[in-house]
Amino acid sequence: MDSINYIGEHLLPRQLGHFAILLSFVAALVSAVAYFMATQKRNQPLVAKGWNTLARGAFLTHGAAVFTAIGTIFYVMLNKYYEFQYVQAHVSEELQPRYVFSAFWEGQEGSFLLWMFWHVVLGTVILFTAKKWESPVLSVISSVQAVIGSMLLGVYIGFGDLAIKFGSNPLLLLREVFDAPIFKQADYVELLPQIAQGLNPSLQNYWMTIHPPTLFLGFASTVVPFAFAIAGLWTKDHKNWLRPALHWTLFSTAVLGTGILMGGAWAYEALNFGGYWAWDPVENTSLVPWIILVAGLHTNLIAKSTGQGIRATYIYYLLGFLLIVYSTFLTRSGILGDTSVHAFTEMGLESQLLFFLFFFIGMAVVALIWRWRGIPVPQKEEATSSKEFWMFIGSLTLLMSAVLITGATSLPVVNTIAEAIDPAWLPLALDDPEAHHNRFQLYIGVFIGLLSGFSQFLRWREKSGSFKWKPFLIHLSVAIVGALALTALTLTWIDARTIGYKILVFSGWFTVVSNLDYLISFARKDLKAAGSAVAHFGFGIMIIGIMASGPNQRVISKNTFLMEGLTADEELKRTTLLLFKDQPMAMENYRLQYTGDTLVDFTRTFFVDYEKLDADGQVTETFKLEPTVLYTREFDDIAITNPSTKRYWNKDIFTVIMSLPQEETSVQAKQEKEDSLKYRLHELYPGNNVSFYDTTQLSDLDTNFVDDYRLELLSFSRHAKHPDYIPEPNDLGISVDFRIQRSRNRRKPIVETGQAAIILRDGLLYQYPAQLNEINTRVKIDESIFDQLLVDENTLDYKEIKVKPGETFTVDGQEIFFASYDPKPEVDHYLPMKDDIAVGAQLVLKSEGEEDRMIEPIFVIRDKQAVRARDEDRELGIYANFVNLDPQTNIGTFFIAKAAPRPELNVPLAVATKSARADWISLQAIEFPGINLFWAGSILMLFGLALSMIFRLMQKRSMRVVQ
Amino acid sequence: MNKTSIIALIMAILALVIFYQVSGEVSPYVNFTTAGATAEEGGKVKIVGQLVKEKPMVWEPTNDPNYFSFFLRDQEGLEQKVVLLQGKPQDFEMSEQIVLTGRMTEEHFLASEVQLKCPSKYKDEESFLKDISEG
Repeated sequence: MDSINYIGEHLLPRQLGHFAILLSFVAALVSAVAYFMATQKRNQPLVAKGWNTLARGAFLTHGAAVFTAIGTIFYVMLNKYYEFQYVQAHVSEELQPRYVFSAFWEGQEGSFLLWMFWHVVLGTVILFTAKKWESPVLSVISSVQAVIGSMLLGVYIGFGDLAIKFGSNPLLLLREVFDAPIFKQADYVELLPQIAQGLNPSLQNYWMTIHPPTLFLGFASTVVPFAFAIAGLWTKDHKNWLRPALHWTLFSTAVLGTGILMGGAWAYEALNFGGYWAWDPVENTSLVPWIILVAGLHTNLIAKSTGQGIRATYIYYLLGFLLIVYSTFLTRSGILGDTSVHAFTEMGLESQLLFFLFFFIGMAVVALIWRWRGIPVPQKEEATSSKEFWMFIGSLTLLMSAVLITGATSLPVVNTIAEAIDPAWLPLALDDPEAHHNRFQLYIGVFIGLLSGFSQFLRWREKSGSFKWKPFLIHLSVAIVGALALTALTLTWIDARTIGYKILVFSGWFTVVSNLDYLISFARKDLKAAGSAVAHFGFGIMIIGIMASGPNQRVISKNTFLMEGLTADEELKRTTLLLFKDQPMAMENYRLQYTGDTLVDFTRTFFVDYEKLDADGQVTETFKLEPTVLYTREFDDIAITNPSTKRYWNKDIFTVIMSLPQEETSVQAKQEKEDSLKYRLHELYPGNNVSFYDTTQLSDLDTNFVDDYRLELLSFSRHAKHPDYIPEPNDLGISVDFRIQRSRNRRKPIVETGQAAIILRDGLLYQYPAQLNEINTRVKIDESIFDQLLVDENTLDYKEIKVKPGETFTVDGQEIFFASYDPKPEVDHYLPMKDDIAVGAQLVLKSEGEEDRMIEPIFVIRDKQAVRARDEDRELGIYANFVNLDPQTNIGTFFIAKAAPRPELNVPLAVATKSARADWISLQAIEFPGINLFWAGSILMLFGLALSMIFRLMQKRSMRVVQ
Repeated sequence: MNKTSIIALIMAILALVIFYQVSGEVSPYVNFTTAGATAEEGGKVKIVGQLVKEKPMVWEPTNDPNYFSFFLRDQEGLEQKVVLLQGKPQDFEMSEQIVLTGRMTEEHFLASEVQLKCPSKYKDEESFLKDISEG
């Protein structure tokens, strides 16, 4: 193969990046092995010390290599070196620098690096704080890093057809990834900017800048409890790992929860599925590890306080990380296929991902089985009246919830395996995933709600005989009465349709009241408990928020078109409403009106006025919502629609565009529509009219209408007047006002007036047609008008003339009287723009035996530059420019030419009947009551987790001080 | 019997009950022939197939924005009219595979939900590169 000397490639970052990726992989391996040895030799301090030093060096080298690889990718992305495949796929010319982060983690490789980045950060913290746990914990984390790092290697191992690809390197050049004829050109790099893919517009959103790093920090942090659990089993120190693991798990649940919640917020604010949670597989598989870790958190607390449940804690913490890896496998291997909206595309890493999953499953299972018998279990069982008993039940309930969600989400995996065994297998799917999840999670919610209420008032290590009923019953009654009252109140506001929903509302309030009581009665004295009370309080509020906003949401945009034979459920799916521009549409207690739209860059914003009506139909409130659609770079499609939401303290009104007229979705469709119209030309003088006929066939029927049209040109203007026209300097525009009438079948004629304009801007023609919706007719000015209108400046023989007002002069026999200056010119051929300084010169053209005629050329200072608006008298053939004005002498300078007379303008109007209207939007409007309760509750819950961690860390420090 | 075993037993029973319940909610993807059979039981089914591009697609939002009809070829190769109770989904023509949830009526398949599988981005990229090189 000939080698080509390519021009313009940046090979240094490629080499540096490849080296960094390779180094990070090797250093992670070294670190894992050295830490492994340091742990194994822990009884020989000197040997262990040596291994530990090597391991630390290797880990920090690994960290530096990961940072370098990330830095290199950012470098090539920010500099837009499109010869890199990753840059070509995720960056384009228009990408704003603030979205470069989103572009970085849009691809699998970037998100793997983000994950590794957080592992490095967390690992470094552990390196300096974990003391005796450093070696075993970092040995595990380093091995994880090596496995993830191997997915970025991008090397082939083996020969010829047997070569196996290891990983996908983000710093490969485009020509190393694809084989295309373009790479036969030495200067192919120059061609690349125009074909760069750029960032998916749906990710160009501020949520996408903060959601992935938070979520990945959450993902990454789950490795710490996992590594501590392995370390505990490995070193047979089954008690001491519980304490640091608890802190790290509190951190992990707080961060992972925040990441998931941000995903919900992003979905609600920027996506169009109308809600914050859709039970999508990708959402589920990040929720499940969180649930498992929360369960583990509870058994961890039990284990620390009573010595019970150490085994369960091991299992939960091991599972938490394994489920994160499973989630990674599901979303990145392409196995989810059509069941998820946010799965990554396949990239041939399936086997490596499977290795990732099974390697760590193997590690966890082996460690557990090996040490199972050695894990201490207290002889005495916990009493039914003890706190630990009910917390344990709670953790089992959470496990149940996780199993159910995972099972349903894993159906595609089941199908894939079953198909491999039995090719005739029919793939299974849940009939209605959302209903399925809601139905089961409802009871889990009820149970968890009740448990996290009353168990707060139980005591650790309670003996069966010594239980004090009185204070417990008092607190319980307070909670029940308070919750009943609040439930009754809530049910007057929201419509909880089934008994299950009502019970869930009660259980939510029960938790809220009992934890509030607990906070007031006990938690003041014990700060650790405050974190727990806040978290459970938040959980209760969240449940109520879900009940208020979920099953209780109300579709405002009920379909107005009837269709027979639908079930009630099916009718509910028909939630799209059609709004014609400026035609108010009343529904329920709102009146909606679409009033217009604007296009800025690629974003088109629609303005929808909402009027809230009371029972008598009186307007009580008005507001405006502005949903948007974002076009692709080439305007050949709509990339994404973004909702707009009106927020109240107790509800949200959510609106999203569901569809637009075909011709508004792409420039091609617009052109096709224009091309499909059959225009007929009519030439008219202002004030004249023309009549013509057209036939219209009614769809589905053999009936033809003969329509009688009458078109009248009302006026012609030498500047552009049109509602959509935004003037720019140096535009040459003209416009017409016309009236058109259609008579059909002796019915009363429909009369409409319209305005059409045509603009010549930088050598291009822009049409501003008039669409008359009542009669489905479109009218535009034919471009041939410029042949009549334009006179080539080069053919005019201009004379320079300097005169004062009051003087008379002659140009090629035409006598002209300069009447006066006009400081405020209001003429047809000049359209004033902002900050213009304009002066007109009124020139009177005198001809013998005829009336005087006046023209008024304009001298304009616009943006500190002199421009001019020519005036002319076509019949006399006079063209006059006003080019300068000397304020000292009052002398004006003119360029005036006389040419052959031209006939009066005969305006060519192109008229197309059968032009369907395109001034509508279809939208969905939903009312979400109480959605702020959901946000506030979940934020409080996560805040409670963080609070617990902080108080515990503070306590640890103060204990150390006391010692 | 100690408490842990009792709890374990309860959990196991619960799990069985739930498994039994869920198995009723799971069904294989069907084709038009089998969908017709289940329609008599009134249940919802899922059907997989491809858009028949040669046959008409009807979506006239000014008549009804929640009515879109097209023809689907199921995995057995049978073509059938489908009425979707939504507007026409974006990039519908580009879909490689369509999964519909709904029921069979006498005239057509009435779908209340739709999922599209669209060609992956990487394929796009490759064809893009080929285009630019040839063009």
